[in-house]
Amino acid sequence: MSDDRTMLTEVATGLFRDLCTPEDVVAAEPTGWSERLWTALSESGFPAVSVPEEAGGSGGDVADACALLTVAGRFAAPVPLAETGLLGGWALAAAGLELPEGPVSVAVDRPDDAVELTGGRFSARLSRVPWGRRSTRVVAFAESGGQRFVVSAPTAAATVTPGRNLAAEPRDTLVWDDVELADDALAPAPTGVDTEALRLRGALARSAQIAGALARVAELTVRYTGERQQFGRAVARFQAVQAHLVTIAEEAELARLAVEVAALNARPDPSFPDVAAAKSAAGEAATIAARASHQAHGAIGMTKEYELGQLSRRLWSWRDEFGGERHWSRELGRQLAAEGADALWPRISTGLVGA
Amino acid sequence: MQFAPTVLTPAEEALRAEVREFLAAELPADHRPALGFAGRHDPHFSRTLAERGWVGMAIPPEYGGHGRSAVDRFIVAEELLAAGAPIGAHFVADRQTAPALLHFGTEEQRRRFLPGIAAGEVYFSLGMSEPDSGSDLASVRTRATRTDGGWTVTGTKVWTSEAHNNHFFAVLCRTSPMEEGSKHAGLSQLIVDLHAPGVTVSPIPYLDGSHHFNEVALEEVFVPGDMVLGELGSGWRQVTSELAYERSGPDRWLSTFPVLREWLRERPDLTDADAAVLGRLAARARAIRHLSLSVARSLDAGEAPAVEAALVKEVGTRFEQDLVEALRDAAETELDQGSGSLFRALLAEAVLTSPSYTLRGGTTEILRSVAAKGLAS
Ligand SMILES: Cc1cc2nc3c(=O)[nH]c(=O)nc-3n(C[C@H](O)[C@H](O)[C@H](O)COP(=O)(O)OP(=O)(O)OC[C@H]3O[C@@H](n4cnc5c(N)ncnc54)[C@H](O)[C@@H]3O)c2cc1C
Repeated sequence: MSDDRTMLTEVATGLFRDLCTPEDVVAAEPTGWSERLWTALSESGFPAVSVPEEAGGSGGDVADACALLTVAGRFAAPVPLAETGLLGGWALAAAGLELPEGPVSVAVDRPDDAVELTGGRFSARLSRVPWGRRSTRVVAFAESGGQRFVVSAPTAAATVTPGRNLAAEPRDTLVWDDVELADDALAPAPTGVDTEALRLRGALARSAQIAGALARVAELTVRYTGERQQFGRAVARFQAVQAHLVTIAEEAELARLAVEVAALNARPDPSFPDVAAAKSAAGEAATIAARASHQAHGAIGMTKEYELGQLSRRLWSWRDEFGGERHWSRELGRQLAAEGADALWPRISTGLVGA
Repeated sequence: MQFAPTVLTPAEEALRAEVREFLAAELPADHRPALGFAGRHDPHFSRTLAERGWVGMAIPPEYGGHGRSAVDRFIVAEELLAAGAPIGAHFVADRQTAPALLHFGTEEQRRRFLPGIAAGEVYFSLGMSEPDSGSDLASVRTRATRTDGGWTVTGTKVWTSEAHNNHFFAVLCRTSPMEEGSKHAGLSQLIVDLHAPGVTVSPIPYLDGSHHFNEVALEEVFVPGDMVLGELGSGWRQVTSELAYERSGPDRWLSTFPVLREWLRERPDLTDADAAVLGRLAARARAIRHLSLSVARSLDAGEAPAVEAALVKEVGTRFEQDLVEALRDAAETELDQGSGSLFRALLAEAVLTSPSYTLRGGTTEILRSVAAKGLAS
């Protein structure tokens, strides 16, 4: 890791450690939101990392943002850190739109979504928008008169129906009914700034959060099984339990490295094969490690207060968000099939690419 | 845990391109890929590879080798394995015996064996397992007693891969009787000529019908005193470190890759479900490769990533098996080793041999114990 990025990670870790304890996460669960944490993050400029400074962001690159998201995932942070900068901020900046105050969210054209833009008038129904109710703007794509636009839709003008993922993080449905958009809420979308690219960033962001959560799950499980005594000894002394620890360590490391490679290769944008492989592998890792860590913990892991459940419920949600394992595996498989049998190995053996 | 992402340098990329070019020229287009390092014994191929400098890469030039890095070795090995090249003749000597000779051997032993290994001409087997000693290697009963000018060795080794084709094997045996409470003491490794008087190699038929491993009976075999590998009595330490070398290389996650490639070749029009299988396996292979390459890089940095290596082997070998079952399920076929389809023939071979991946070189269960101890500390 570069020195700058290591420092960023350390500073962020300190901040989350102070303001996002397991107790804080429990306390935030009814609203899925921590004002105190968001304020502190905003003051440090963290939500806008990877958004260029000229566009009102904090600078830095995709790898910096992913490093931050890994930390956020580890602490189960109840804030839209990914959505504001790496996703929404990216699209706004690319289209020359202003990065608004406060959290930003995004919509990636889910099957039941509908968007209509005529002139400056906007109607839309966007579902499962992360922290939709807390965002000042939701970034979406729309077509009008044969041209594609980035829309920065004001949440204040929408009707919100709350929804939640398994960890009670807000995933809301927002409806705009023929709303007049201000000039600062609409701009033509440059090439490469589209739903596909946004979904790719979303998948990378969730993979990074998964990697962070998995690292913490691994630590928790090693610690707990080393302390919990049954039959007169720590349960970690039993081989069957050790097998779980090994599985968790493998999956956590495998996901982390896949994410790091994808993030470091994003110069400037994440590449499809990197992200597809990372999300597929991280999603599978989430499933396997969550199962193993719950098994190794026994009943304590099933309590809502204990930290493991805060992480596993996020893992079970994040693996599906912005496309699950099946989605990304299929899309990757399609590309590999199109490239042919002899291109398969060169593709698999492409790791971190030199600058 | 120290798995760090790593970039191949331009020189490493160039090496890879060279190996790919070599393989494209050397392997006939319709060759049947070997599955893994034990796949096929082909001395001609081993010698040709050695002429290019790709055998004995870890061996310093003064012993006929090339003094290359662990990452360079990784690159060559993964290309060979991905292509299914027939590397069975030299692979074990190269991966395992040469480093042991370098670390523990006498100057005389190095001069005698290393140039031949580097030339792809001298092949070694491993003489560890016995009928009553598998995972619990320290319980071996093969015994060496002192005699004029050396040792007399008696005992039986089993599962000795390729003993019928190879020249020597490193035999783990007792050179002094087991003492209460110190079962790891008194073990030594002796280099035994597989063609010496008193050595009888008999095949143990392998599950796929091939001749892969053997029973090797040693009956009062004379072994010259200068064939003790390393220090007398430190066999246990040497063997456990020997096991560590071979843990996490590409041979631990690529054995079945050719089956995937041939599946894609024979079924270019993938359904959505098939594409998802392909994508998932490719994603996981990539992720495991990142880990495995990272271990090679950290070896070059002088680190000793023992836990990491055990994790890679454990997860990698399970992946090799997982790949086979995923493809079997996707292919909806009946398995037949004699199938005219290369993919199906390979799939049949893979199903028959895949249980070995999680056994050979230390079972999954033993690896988990090794890794778990490291994780807890
Ligand atoms: C294809 C192939 C090639 C081989 N080639 C060679 C060779 O060339 N030379 C050579 O010396 N050996 C060779 N072997 C042998 C290999 O090293 C042994 O199979 C391996 O060490 C395990 O020993 P075992 O088969 O006797 O199983 P055992 O040790 O009898 O184990 C049986 C089962 O018990 C489990 N078990 C044993 N002890 C423990 C424990 N403490 N904790 C938890 N579980 C345990 C094992 O994991 C396994 O599941 C080869 C094996 C294979 C499959």
